[in-house]
Amino acid sequence: MEYSIRTEHLTKSFGSFLAVDHIDVSVAKGEVFGFLGANGAGKTTAIRMLCGLLAPTSGRGTVAGFDIIRESEKIRTRIGYMSQKFSLYPDLSVGQNLRLYGRLYGLGSKDLEARIREMAAFLGLEELLKRVTGSLPWGWQQRLSLACANLHRPEILFLDEPTGSVDPVSRRNFWDLIHRLSEQGTTIFITSHYMDEVEYCHRLSIMIDGRVAAMGTPRELKRDSGCATIHELFLKLVEKKPAGAAA
Amino acid sequence: MIARGRLISIARKEMRHIFRDWQTLVVVLVMPVMMMFLYGYALNADAKEIPVLIEMPSPDPETRAVADKIDASQLFAVRGVVATAADPAELFKLHNIKALIRFPPGFARDLRRPGGTRVQVLIDGSDPNLGTIIRNAAEPLLLGATLQVLGVEQPKVLDLRTLVLYNPEQSSALFFVPGLMAVILLMISALLTSVAIAREKELGTMGQLLVSPLRPLEIIVGKIIPYVFLAAVDGLLIMTVGRLAFGVKIAGNPWLLATCSLVYIFTALSIGLLISTLVKRQQHAMFAALGATMMPTVLLSGFIFPVASMPLQLQIVSHLIPATYFLEIVRGIILKGVGIHELWRPLLILSFEGMLLMAIAIRKFKVKL
Repeated sequence: MEYSIRTEHLTKSFGSFLAVDHIDVSVAKGEVFGFLGANGAGKTTAIRMLCGLLAPTSGRGTVAGFDIIRESEKIRTRIGYMSQKFSLYPDLSVGQNLRLYGRLYGLGSKDLEARIREMAAFLGLEELLKRVTGSLPWGWQQRLSLACANLHRPEILFLDEPTGSVDPVSRRNFWDLIHRLSEQGTTIFITSHYMDEVEYCHRLSIMIDGRVAAMGTPRELKRDSGCATIHELFLKLVEKKPAGAAA
Repeated sequence: MIARGRLISIARKEMRHIFRDWQTLVVVLVMPVMMMFLYGYALNADAKEIPVLIEMPSPDPETRAVADKIDASQLFAVRGVVATAADPAELFKLHNIKALIRFPPGFARDLRRPGGTRVQVLIDGSDPNLGTIIRNAAEPLLLGATLQVLGVEQPKVLDLRTLVLYNPEQSSALFFVPGLMAVILLMISALLTSVAIAREKELGTMGQLLVSPLRPLEIIVGKIIPYVFLAAVDGLLIMTVGRLAFGVKIAGNPWLLATCSLVYIFTALSIGLLISTLVKRQQHAMFAALGATMMPTVLLSGFIFPVASMPLQLQIVSHLIPATYFLEIVRGIILKGVGIHELWRPLLILSFEGMLLMAIAIRKFKVKL
């Protein structure tokens, strides 16, 4: 099996606080992997380590086959990252934002223009290229973020709470796009706190207090725990927490 | 290591932000010119036509002749003559005068007696500068006028000849143009860069840049380049307005001035960058930058108050401020026309400060990753 992401005992502590506590996560190529957890469970810290923005305290990991400690520069050219906050330039046009990110990732002019047309068509952004980004409605800004993160054909897309504050229809459309990207071979690593939509993931893990409390396909997780939904399982794991901490 | 393509992309993007945000552009281009005209007129220390009142109990020809001489001087304008000033304070309030010149009764008679006579000058001291000007001017003026009335040649004991070098007309423009160069270049460079980087943090775009293959140094240099240009444009603007509107000519080598200005801009950008690593919000960046640049530069660099007259503690602070050295350089080149031979020391200190601040800023910027 070819893994896009693999971690072994990946750990990050801030002083005496263990933000990420010996996690082992493996994500196969082309998989849509849901990375769940309550706020403050360590999701963002884990993602930052995988993207090479933060050095782990201990443990190891590879992303796209490169070591996250020693080869973070190589990793950065092979991943796309979309943060939970809209983080493109609102005063630039849609086209200017796309061109900027394309160039930062080293796309040549010809390739870049072809790729922008391709992404615009894929996400339905063709009519909007000349519009100022800040004037777009939320759902479209979200799509533009995805386009920017995906322009350089990354092997892996990290999506941090991409569907936060998006209406249900846009959310549904967004997941359709995610699955189409996955079918084209892109690995998707996505965090979310919408427990209904994480059932769209191929596999997922649930993080509680810096640890991976459960991992598997949605079906396996529900079957093994006897819960009807992931939502139920999540609540069960969160409630179990004090007992787990005592053990 | 810096990749040119990525660097240009960042610099071009930053240029776009600047041109999209016309308000900033107006501030950058209009504010320096406005400040020049403000300082140009406000700092004009040449007092003229100061309103005074004369108390003249006995209006004999001699007293009137002296009073006329006072009125004829450029410095004073006699607003009226009163016979008695029982309540001088009332007269100051009523006539809005700055000084009251009181001749005694029998001025003409006493003049010719051995031991002479007395004249009292009451001065409104609420504006200390003006008070000093009146005090310094009153005695020679009155003495000269009285001697002239008496037809007495002033005995020649000492022939004092002063010659003012470098700024012979004592024009205040020559004094404030270098000062404004120091203030404006520092403000534009430090303020705009720190705000620009804080804005990226606020927007979350900084995180997006950091996960891209961009290296921190490329972000820093790419973002700084447009502001170097803006600051340079401002420097040219100040020199041009200074020359056209205030007649300030550069006595020394303009290229040396340009080079030193670039070193100063670099130092100012380092301050801006350092501030941006310490704050997360644009507003904080703005206040920090203004506090760190505007105030110390105006008050402590020697722009308005001479460094030599400051208490020791403030002199120490003054010698830490880049503007102090830049001011020395600019005044040296514009007024005295001196070259690198005389200016290598402040230039060296300025460069050293710039490099030190930049090194700290880059280090802190990386750690913040």
